[in-house]
Amino acid sequence: MSRSFLRDRLMPLLGMLVALVFTPASYSADGSRAQEQAQRQQTQPGNNAPMWRDVREGVNQTTQVRGVETNVLMQPSGQSWREVRPPISLAGGLLIAAALLALFAFYQWRGPIGVHEAGTGKLIKRFSDAERLTHWTVAISVCILAVTGLIISFGKYMLLPIIGYTLFSWLAALAKNLHNFVAPVFFFMLPVMIVLFVRDNLPGPGDLKWLLTFGGLFSKSGHETPSGRFNMGEKVLFWFMVCALGVVLCVSGTVMLFPNFDQGRQIMQAANIVHVVGAMVMIFLASFHIYLGTVGARGAYEGMRTGYVDETWAKEHHQLWYDQVKAGKARQHFADDAPDAVRAQVANGLKA
Amino acid sequence: MARMKFLCDAERCIECNGCVTACKQEHEIPWGVNRRRVVTLNDGVPGEKSISVACMHCSDAPCMAVCPVDCFYKTSEGIVLHDKDLCIGCGYCFYACPFGAPQFPQDGAFGLRGKMDKCTFCAGGPETDHSEAEYKKYGRNRLAEGKLPACAEMCSTKALLGGDADVISDIYRNRVMKRGKGSEVWGWGTAYGKPDAKPATPPGAKS
Repeated sequence: MSRSFLRDRLMPLLGMLVALVFTPASYSADGSRAQEQAQRQQTQPGNNAPMWRDVREGVNQTTQVRGVETNVLMQPSGQSWREVRPPISLAGGLLIAAALLALFAFYQWRGPIGVHEAGTGKLIKRFSDAERLTHWTVAISVCILAVTGLIISFGKYMLLPIIGYTLFSWLAALAKNLHNFVAPVFFFMLPVMIVLFVRDNLPGPGDLKWLLTFGGLFSKSGHETPSGRFNMGEKVLFWFMVCALGVVLCVSGTVMLFPNFDQGRQIMQAANIVHVVGAMVMIFLASFHIYLGTVGARGAYEGMRTGYVDETWAKEHHQLWYDQVKAGKARQHFADDAPDAVRAQVANGLKA
Repeated sequence: MARMKFLCDAERCIECNGCVTACKQEHEIPWGVNRRRVVTLNDGVPGEKSISVACMHCSDAPCMAVCPVDCFYKTSEGIVLHDKDLCIGCGYCFYACPFGAPQFPQDGAFGLRGKMDKCTFCAGGPETDHSEAEYKKYGRNRLAEGKLPACAEMCSTKALLGGDADVISDIYRNRVMKRGKGSEVWGWGTAYGKPDAKPATPPGAKS
């Protein structure tokens, strides 16, 4: 990144972003400029400079037309929003594209992460029904929100030239309405998810080692670094993606979702920027989670789908947790009563 | 080719809201939608000014730049119009517009705002000129009738000018040249006579 890029593009951009977020939501005429204008009128009739300065700053004035901010002749922050948004969403799009490319390359190089020994057929009930219901509700709603959000953000450049105005408008309207009506599902299930999963995502033994060794990804033996019920990678995702970004997205989204609360434009512009940044980072992180939960690691998808994992899988990926289960110290137990269909599914998931 | 523009002379506007009313009635605009409004600056302070504002049909229009479905287009006369059949009612144009021109017919819980509506410079929309569909969605197409925008035509003090940029800027330039200074700016000379003319009431007479 050259210095001139930093100076000419990035710094003004950051300046505008800061201005957008931190300037007060509305100004009122404090009267001092009005007095200045009145005096100017005496000495220089026709010179309205003080008044125009107020106009340029978006000061609240007077109008007979009812509505939100109808008394503002010009709002300056719209221009900042217009300038800030495209480079941010472009950067986010590139970040997501880079993640998908990296995952594709990793899959080609390493293939799915399997287990070193054959499954024993002895199952552990890893996820309760409540946990699975919550996980899948959030997962499906996030997928819908991500896809529809990406259509709204990038469809104009990537889909519209291909499918044309009429079809893309129809698709974008569908995307917008799905986004707006699936959002409340995410909003209400997110706290449930946080409450259900927080216990096993608190810091525990082995976390630091797992983080420092990247979970054993580059270890010579090919064995994963032992971890509790959730490894450090999952914990980082829980705290950063679910708790931090999830809440940020819910709050910023709600600001834009209900313009009927009469909030001004400036807070919606700021919310939009926060929402775009948060969403792009969330999609970036979620793509790694989705990769490891589907094609990336054998047996992981079946674990969340059915709730059961094979003993071998548990030993391979969450050894400390497996030891606890074996010792009867964990809340999860061996499940001898698992239905045959589930057994077949779990066994199938482990097969290379 | 003409470049259509609006110009509001702040020295002339008397905040009668005639332009707002003319616009509403010409296009049968529903309640809650205001394609044009008058803002009074420094209301109640000596030297207060009023300005009528609507879509300014910008050369580099922010609404056009941010629309996610690219529903805006610019006519050969520089008028910014939009296609309501494409609009998804996301509100981005409303975030970006400096003048608060984009309007939405609905309140908008869950982002349900309806199709955006704004000043068309009385030039209708993409539908066939004078068709019923055009009138319902965008209002009268006065330009196709050879007329100028209703608001400017209706303006009682001719503060609001609308039309070819070259023509209206000549009108405004002439005004500024002839306006003079002091009380003449306000047009008192016309109403009360020139300052050097004989006072209407002889000095010393009871008022």
